[in-house]
Formats: sequence, structure tokens, C-alpha cells
Amino acid sequence: MTGVSFGLLLRIALRSLVGHRIKGLIVGTILAFGTFLVVLGTTLLDNVERAMEASITRSLTGHVQVVSERAKDELAFFGPAAAADQDLSFIPDFRRVKEELLAIDGVEAVIPMGRQMAQGVVGNELDERLEALRRAVRDGDEAEVADLSARVQRMVQLLLLERRNALEISADAAPIEAEIEILEKGASDAFWEAFPEDPIASLEFLDTKVAPISSNGLPIFLPYVATDLHAYAKHFPHFAIVDGEMVPPGRKGFLFNKTYYEETVKNKVARTLDKVREARELDGRTIAADPLLQELIERSTQYTRHVTEQLGPRDAAAVEEKLRRLLPQVEGGLDELLKAFLRVDDGNFDERYAFFYDEIAPRIRLYRVAVGDVVTIRALSQDGYMRAVNVKVWGTFNLEGLERSALASFYNLIDLMSFRDLYGLMTAEKKEVIDALRAEVGVEAIDHANVEDALFGGDAEVEVETALAGERIDVEAALADAAEAQARASDTFDPADIEKGMTLHAAVVLSDPSRLEEAMQAIEARSREKGLGIRAFTWQKVAGIVGQFILVMRMVLYVAIGILFAVALVIINNSMVMATMDRVGEIGTMRAIGARRFFVLALFLLETLVLALAAGVVGAGAAVGLILALGGSGIPAAGNDALIFLFGGPALHPEPVWTNLFFGFAAIAAISLISTFYPARIAARIAPVVAMQSRE
Amino acid sequence: MAGIVEVRNVVKEYPLGKLTVQALRGVSLELEAGEFAAIAGTSGSGKTTLLNLIGCVDTPTSGEVVVAGQSTTALGDSQLTRLRLHELGFIFQSFNLIAVLDVYQNVEFPLLLQGGLSRGERDRRVREMVEKVGLTQQIKHRPSELSGGQRQRVAIARALVTRPKIVLADEPTANLDSQTGTAIIDLMKSINAAEKTTFIFSTHDPKVTDRADRVIRLQDGRIVDDGKGARAGAA
Repeated sequence: MTGVSFGLLLRIALRSLVGHRIKGLIVGTILAFGTFLVVLGTTLLDNVERAMEASITRSLTGHVQVVSERAKDELAFFGPAAAADQDLSFIPDFRRVKEELLAIDGVEAVIPMGRQMAQGVVGNELDERLEALRRAVRDGDEAEVADLSARVQRMVQLLLLERRNALEISADAAPIEAEIEILEKGASDAFWEAFPEDPIASLEFLDTKVAPISSNGLPIFLPYVATDLHAYAKHFPHFAIVDGEMVPPGRKGFLFNKTYYEETVKNKVARTLDKVREARELDGRTIAADPLLQELIERSTQYTRHVTEQLGPRDAAAVEEKLRRLLPQVEGGLDELLKAFLRVDDGNFDERYAFFYDEIAPRIRLYRVAVGDVVTIRALSQDGYMRAVNVKVWGTFNLEGLERSALASFYNLIDLMSFRDLYGLMTAEKKEVIDALRAEVGVEAIDHANVEDALFGGDAEVEVETALAGERIDVEAALADAAEAQARASDTFDPADIEKGMTLHAAVVLSDPSRLEEAMQAIEARSREKGLGIRAFTWQKVAGIVGQFILVMRMVLYVAIGILFAVALVIINNSMVMATMDRVGEIGTMRAIGARRFFVLALFLLETLVLALAAGVVGAGAAVGLILALGGSGIPAAGNDALIFLFGGPALHPEPVWTNLFFGFAAIAAISLISTFYPARIAARIAPVVAMQSRE
Repeated sequence: MAGIVEVRNVVKEYPLGKLTVQALRGVSLELEAGEFAAIAGTSGSGKTTLLNLIGCVDTPTSGEVVVAGQSTTALGDSQLTRLRLHELGFIFQSFNLIAVLDVYQNVEFPLLLQGGLSRGERDRRVREMVEKVGLTQQIKHRPSELSGGQRQRVAIARALVTRPKIVLADEPTANLDSQTGTAIIDLMKSINAAEKTTFIFSTHDPKVTDRADRVIRLQDGRIVDDGKGARAGAA
């Protein structure tokens, strides 16, 4: 293109665009739409990723998780892998790992963690009533005995009814028939008339025969993250106590996630009404127009037992009377009235919601576990035994902004010391106790790796007879049990012990999350250098399937953009070929006058490039405008659990990501150049002789 | 003295389906610098083909064409383009102005392709040529805003602005009324006289051939009169 100025090319390109404005408009519209889609799509995804990163890193994982390099499974906080029993091995000396990692520039905190799916066992309703009845009998409080007797009889009657229903659908009738026989006795008036004569024997029958049949005490599934609760509270900014209080330093304890607590521990009828209220008030849904709400309401009528079972005769009568006044047209007893009451509609919902919480809720136990209760947590430990600890529920907490996300609310919190007891690994303090006892009884410690040498000879000169080895194992097991029993019995500990023992994994919180990759490399390098035996994983990796979601979304977007661009490519190509055919005379003239082929090629490419830039400005401008508008108003998650999690709250407020503008421009420029290259080559091959044949 | 254009035994064949059409059948011709020559003949006689070969926009099937001392036979596309840009000017039957450029820009276009001139020098030359063809008033007009005669004047200005040795015009008056056509030929002739630029134009109009210094007549792809005798006679 010797001697040909870019200015000339640009001038002709611009004038050609104006001269062929229909073609320009078609191609420009496609390119503008493509840019709009690229900029909008990638920006929204980046914003979702940023929000999701905040959701995950600021509530659960930190930016990096370190796991023992002996871990056989990949650590996953969400998805199917999280529900499975993961073999993560453990980090034996947390203190050392913490010290080494804190020495890395940009590492703000290292917080020990463990993750376990356990069961929480709380006393069943019948047990509690029987206990109260026993106290009343002991105290000789006849009025109380009468009231509690009536309550217990009613509970047994309802239990009997439930078992009879179960009999109809059960394949194995025999055990249920045996239960019915017991319950028939416990529900009969004859039994209760005879109760005052021999209350102890009657209570014995109720305790040992009837209470075990009650299903009211079903264990609660308790997924939790065990951690240094105070370090967690300090470094995970989403955490906030809602009810009760933070577990005091040096005390063992359990904190329910408020959302999980409401969903799992709250009375089912109350929870259903709460859900309908949330849907109506927060999401603007109506019962009339929402089949899911209608189904939820209908299902709640099957839970009346969760209310009636808890009402004593006096409360039952009071509630029945109030309900009858509210629903005079309904025939039947309390159960029918309650069913009719729960069939709410948009017109009566607010009134009935208030009625429930004013008249019924104060008479029942709204939560199966109350703040302040002690819950027995049982979990299968690593040594294969079921272990249990009693911990106090100190309170509930929220992950702010993620209150309505079930995904973010999946995990409760427990102190690390209780977890160590449940997980069944040797802690430093237990080891100290055992070592002391071992010294007392004169048993030598043999490192696991040296057992063979110790038994069969080798470098280590430890002589242990086979018989003694057998004995030693028994002693060790007994010592371990003793130490554990001692630890479990106490609900206090020295906060310094948290760092002394093992942890399954640890969260690393960075002061600058954008330096994630750098931090990862530094952690891995430090581990190799200092022999820490750990591996680092990004938050995205440990978030499991949820962390991969954004990658999948990105793939989907890129495929969609790819398809759009392929279509655009074909349309632009065709359009440009047709435009070339229209301009054969003009190009031939240029060639005849002395324009080289490259000039024609460059001219065509520049024309499209100019068009692409103009279209890019329009498309990107529209996308940025929309993003700014959405940033102001917010994209509502509409109560959708997954969206709340992805948006990091009830709405996403996207912000422009300027690199995406560049990406959008680059993509659109590339597409336009590729699609124009073929027609430009055709144009460049037009022979100058056609100028002689052309007509204006 | 060698001519500025030498055509030696040139044959030009075109494929037409399964047939081959011979447009030129062994044409030889020599033109001196500064000539004002017409190639005349009926439609299909081969005059445009001969002009294309001299104009380096086409190459002969056999024979040789030498333009400004360079044989075009062995030249590639790029060298032919260079030859056209620096040694030749073109005036087309249909004017062939670039529709999206105005008068000034159309005239400036070959200078920009050539490069090497300062903006001031380029501007001076363009305005001088536009003035010479009498379109100073229309200098900012687009081709669509000009009459046929005015367009052809722009084409003449564009052909001459690079100061070529040879200007080729393919039936320059064919799309003009006779009065305008005559004016165009007069303009070309005056430039030929003043600048000594060689003009070679094809025509079938007797009124135009009458104004030529030399008329080369073609018939069925052969020269039937190379005009030298006539010129000698005239002289």
C-alpha cells in the first residue's frame, strides 16, 4: 500500500458506508446486537460470579481451603459430593500450618474447619410430658397431674390413630399390631382412671412401652461446619447472630443457621404459614395465581397433628372454641376446624396468620429445639463407632443477604473441640492425658510406622513382646475412652487448644481476593518448602457443583454467542458479497486508475471495521446503559433459592466491567473482519478491464 | 526514435463458451509521443480491445505491447498497476467517477494512490486541473450532481492530474450530445497541444475522427488503415 494514505482509505470507507447505507444498516444491526449480547452477557456473568464469590467466600469457604495432601476425596461444600462421606484425611498440626500460612504476604487469617453430617437428638414431646407428670406426682400437685394426664392420654390417643393409619399401608403388620395393642391400653379411659391408684407403675408402662413408639422425637439431620467460632465470626463478614448469643470463648456450643432452624426445627404448620407470608409479601405472589402455594397450603392441612398433639385438653378446648367462632359453618371437631382454618386464601390470609400466632402458637412448642436447650449430637466417627456429644444451642445466626437461600443456609456451626470429639481423632490434649497415663502404667509409645520394627526387630531397639503388644492395645483403647469421656463431660476448654490439635481442613482468608492465584501458588510453595503436607484449593473448586455453575453458564453463553456469531458471519458474508457485486465497476475503475489489489482488500476490511466500531459503540452503549439501569433497580432473585445464592442476596445490582467492553469490541471486530475477508478477496481480484465495460 | 506505444503482431482471443473469438488478429502499430490519435471502427472491430491492451488493463494472447518503453507481456499485476498509475491516464465512456467522492476528491484520488506529494502540492495540482476543465464552481459537487459533460471533464482532470505520458479514452463522447462531445474533444486537443500528452481514443463517430491528427481504422480485428498515409497526406 506504498504511498496510499490511511486517510484516503478511511475517507472512501466512510463515504462508501454512507453510500451503501441499507447494507450498512443490516450488517450494523447484526454487529450491534452481537456486541450488546457479548457485553451484557459477560458483564452479567462477571457480576454473578463476583456476587457468588462473595456469597461463598464471605460465608463459608474463605478464598482458599487447604486440605491434607493425603486426602483421597476432593473437598466439596455443596452438591452430591458434599453429602457423601468424604475421605479428607486431616491436618494433624494446625498450629504449624496456621503459622506458616500467616507468614505469606496477603494471608489475613487461617481458620480451622471440619465438615460433618450428624444427627441431633432432642427429647421427644411425650418424654417431656411424662417427665412433667412424674414431677407433678412426686410433688403431689393433683390439678397438674389431672391436666398432664389428660394431655398424655390425648397424645397417646393421637399416636394410636396414627399407628392405625400406618397399619393400613404397611406390608409388615405384626410389629404395628403389637404397638397398637400397647397404645390401646395407654389411650383407654380405664388406664387413666386407674392411674392415681398406682402412678409409678403406670408411668413405668408409659415410659418403657408407649414412649418408644412415639415418632415425635425423630432425629434432626444436622449438617455443620466445625470451626474456631470466634475466628470465623471475625473473618466471615456475612455472619451475624440473630437469636440468643455467640458461644462464649472457651465454651463448647452449637449455633443454628436461622434459615435452617426455621425450615427444619420449627413447627411445620407455623413454617408453612411463614412461607406463604414470605411468598406474598416478599415475592408478590398470590395464592390464587400460584399452584405451588396452593399445594403447600393443602399439604399443611395434613400437619394438624403437629398442633393438636401439643395441645392439652384445656388449650384444645380453648382453641376449638375460638376456631368455631371464626369458622361457624365448619362441622366436626378440632382437627376439622384446624384443617378448614389452614385452607387460607388471599382474602383471609393476614387475619388467619395473626390468629395463628396470637391464639395457637403461644400454646404449642414452636421449635423442637429452643435456644438454650442442650442437644445430643450423634455422628459416625472415623473409627467406625457412633459418637455423641451434648452441646448447648447458644443461638441462631444469619449469613446476611443470604437469609432466603437454602444453599447458603445448609450448614450450622459447632465449636471445633466438640467436633474433634465427634470425629474421633486423637487431639493433642487427649494425647497428653494418655501419655501421662501411659507413663504411669509403664507402657511405651510406639510410632505407628515403627510397629513392625518394634515387633520384629530392626534399627529401632525397642523390644516388645507380642503378648505385651496385645495388652498395650487394650490399655490404649481404655485410656482413649477415659479421656474422651472426660472431655465430653466438660463443656469448657482452653481456647488455645483449638490450635493445638487436628483440623480436617482450613479456610484461608486473603486481604486482597484478586491475588487468589498468587496466594495459591505461595501456599503450595510454602507447603513443599516446609513439608506442611497440605494442598490448596480455590473457593470455586471447593464449592463443588455450585462453584462449577458459573463455568457452565459461561460455556452456555459462549456457545450462544458462538452460534449468533456464526449466523452473523454468514449474513455479513452474503451481504458483503452482494455489495461487492454491486461495486464491480467502481472497484474496476480504481484498479484501472492504479489502485493495487491490497488497496481494495484494505478498503473493504476497513469499511467493515469502521461499521463494526460504530455498531460496537451502539451495542456496547446499549448494554452498559441497561447494566447501569439494572444496577440501579436491581435484578430481583424473585425468592428463587439458587438465584439468591448466585446474586449474593435478594437482588443483583450489576456494574459495568470495562474489560468486557474491550472484549466485546475485539470479538465484533474479529467477526466482521473474518466475515469480510472472503468478499474483500473477491473484490481485490476484480480485473481493471471491467472498468472499460461498466456503465454508471 | 522508438514510439511511446508499440504494438507488435498482437493477437487477442476470448473464449466464448466452446468457441474462441479472435478480437485482434495480428495487429501491429506504433504511436509517437504527443500524438492525438483516434482508433476508429465499427462495433466489434476490436478498437476497445486494442485500447485495453495499450492501457495495460488486459494482456495479449500473443504478440507484444510496449508502453512507455516497457514491454507489458512479462509484467505481473503489480507492475502493470504501477505502469497504469504512473504512465497512463484513463477516460471512460461512462465516466467511471467514484460516486461517493466529490469532484475534488475524484481528481485527487490517483495522486493519493501515487503518494509522494505534499498536501500543498497535491492541492495545487488538483485545483489547477479542475480549473483547466472549467469546474472550479462545482469542485465540491458529487458526480450525481453533475451533467454528463461535466462528469467527463472531471474524468479528464483525473486522467491528467498525475501528468501521464499517455491518456487513453474509450469512446469519450459516446454518452454525450454532439455539442458537449465536441467541447470535450476540443478540451482534450487543447491539452494535447499545450502539454504534449499523447491521446489515444477509440470512437466510431466521424465527427470525432475528423478532429484527430491520426486515425487508425480497424475492421474485424485487423488494421485496415494505420493513418500514417492520411497524416502524411494531410501534412
